[in-house]
Amino acid sequence: MLEASGVLELSLAIEATDVVKVFGSIHALDGLSFTVKHGEIFGLIGPNGAGKTTALRIISTLLKPTSGSVKVLGRDVVDEASEIRRLISYLPEEAGAYKNLSGYEYLEFMAKFTIEDKEMIRETVEVAAKISGLEERLKDKVKTYSKGMKRRLLVARALMTKPKLALLDEPTSGLDVLHSVHVRGIIKQYVEKEGVTVLLSSHNMLEVEHLCGKVALINKGKIVAEGSPAELEKKVNASNLEEVFAKVVGFV
Amino acid sequence: MFKGLFNVIVKEVKELVRDPTLLLGMIIVPLIIFPLMGFAVQTSMKAAEESMENISIAVMNLDKGTVAENLTNFLTTLGVTIVKIDDLNFTEAVNYVQQSNLTGLIVIPLNFTNNITGGLKAELDVYSVFRGGGIAESTSSSTISTLLKSFEESLVFQKIFEEIPEEDPQTVLNPIDMSEKSIVKGKSVNIHPSVLFGLMMSQSMGMPIGIMMLLIFAMQLAATSVASEKEEKTLETLLTLPINRLTILAGKLTGSIIVAVVGAIAYIVGFTYYMGSFMGIMPAETGVDLAAIGLAPTPISYLLLGASLFVSLISALALAISISVFAEDVKGAQALVGPLSMLLIFPMIFMMFTDIYALPFPLMIVLLAIPFTHPMLASKVAFTGDYLTAVIGIVYVSIFTIAVLYIAARLFGTEKILTAKLKFKGLRRRKRKPAE
Repeated sequence: MLEASGVLELSLAIEATDVVKVFGSIHALDGLSFTVKHGEIFGLIGPNGAGKTTALRIISTLLKPTSGSVKVLGRDVVDEASEIRRLISYLPEEAGAYKNLSGYEYLEFMAKFTIEDKEMIRETVEVAAKISGLEERLKDKVKTYSKGMKRRLLVARALMTKPKLALLDEPTSGLDVLHSVHVRGIIKQYVEKEGVTVLLSSHNMLEVEHLCGKVALINKGKIVAEGSPAELEKKVNASNLEEVFAKVVGFV
Repeated sequence: MFKGLFNVIVKEVKELVRDPTLLLGMIIVPLIIFPLMGFAVQTSMKAAEESMENISIAVMNLDKGTVAENLTNFLTTLGVTIVKIDDLNFTEAVNYVQQSNLTGLIVIPLNFTNNITGGLKAELDVYSVFRGGGIAESTSSSTISTLLKSFEESLVFQKIFEEIPEEDPQTVLNPIDMSEKSIVKGKSVNIHPSVLFGLMMSQSMGMPIGIMMLLIFAMQLAATSVASEKEEKTLETLLTLPINRLTILAGKLTGSIIVAVVGAIAYIVGFTYYMGSFMGIMPAETGVDLAAIGLAPTPISYLLLGASLFVSLISALALAISISVFAEDVKGAQALVGPLSMLLIFPMIFMMFTDIYALPFPLMIVLLAIPFTHPMLASKVAFTGDYLTAVIGIVYVSIFTIAVLYIAARLFGTEKILTAKLKFKGLRRRKRKPAE
């Protein structure tokens, strides 16, 4: 996961072009296009049912687009899905962990898929233990964890292997203020020091404003506004991202 | 291709074995419930035996003759407690027997002695008290009739002795000494056919039950292992990991097989103990060496049975996984897989009681079309040496297994494994809309 090739550095981290995803009669994505550069924290924001999770699922190779193309780290999500899975890490919004495994066992299970060396696995799990801040509780079974503890375990899992691209769907959902601040700090640190690119979706505008260098506003399966938080605020004459959101989506 | 398989198997086994409900249902219940059932059976058997030893019968002797007197003496010598109630009328006698906890009532009518000594058929009324059924009561009742039969026999012996004193009454009564033997695979064997049938019966009943239990366990486990990934929201993460989807499928199959085998062993141990509790009332070891007469399974038949069981197990698991993909949670998956167990119970019942080829043709075809019939059939032909039937079954089940595995792999390889759930969500959302 750490081997960086010249090709990867040159190309975009994500390049979504005219993506359509249809479920029966529902158009979850309706011509979605956006790009994410390497080393950036990109925020995907939008109302419920706008298509954020579907977009993340397509980028993470879980779903195939009905039409359009998505390239992740220069690779096509349909034809080179297994290549992409080696480079990314996806944290779903409603993710869980195996309840009958201990926190350590869970992290070890996950680490073994990307790392072969035993010593490296141990080190990676130690890193995750620090990120999660769960310490001794990692020895307990996941089913004894609170919602917040589980989320911290999952965030640690998503970042511990230092993926080229981390897709984080509501990374701080269910966390209290202190832990949210901690997680945001970790995300920033991984981008700045480890060269991880992050695409995150969030309903917390404060979080997006604080973390993301670039934001795309998605509504009804399309991008309706894109730019840095400051650019967007200026563009629609709003004082913060929340106002931008309300104005663009059409409530104000 | 199967990189990471061991990692997945270890996780599957840990998750399944540590699940308290599974552990309780699969391992602890058979190991505790069966022995408890066995204990209950043993205790009631003992009680029945004891009640047999303490038989007390009321005798209403209206005859007062010598044979009637001999009868009561005969019963007393055999340990039966006799309560004489000659001075009661019939209604009073019945009431008395009911209330005083006696086993039964014998009414010896007038002229009983005269009829017997005069060469006429005599009558005897025997009543057993019914207090709610149960083994103890029925054995006591049959003991009374057995005792009376032996009294009757003694009368016959006496008669023969009086009429033909020079001959042995036993020879007069049973002039032919029949020696029943069997022919097995073209060789005569000095064993009573009913002993052989009994032995074969216990073999052919045990195996289908064991096979059925193993397959049902495995199917429930496989369904649970897929559905719990959905229920616990771990599936999405798992599917984005750098691991081949077929490896995930193979890991789930293997994990389920390992735990199912452990469960089946627990079940068989418990069941054997339970069956063992009946041995007290069954005839002792027959001492028949099945291997010597060619009825014991040969290494080849074990191999064929193993192969048949293996392909059936894989097909059952693949079938359960394919179906559980459409369930949203563990409960849903178990409900979907539940009806599949009919495919196992149906052939098992037929296999236990009859030869499949003796059934009406359409029914035979239906049974042969069910893949799970074949390992049960293989367990039967193992004893008869009809290897061809077992091989044909293995080929048929293998083809079926490949087809089902292909479907399971397709479902795992595409987004259907996720969209099955998505569709349900979509439907619900649409249903809710008008109310908003």
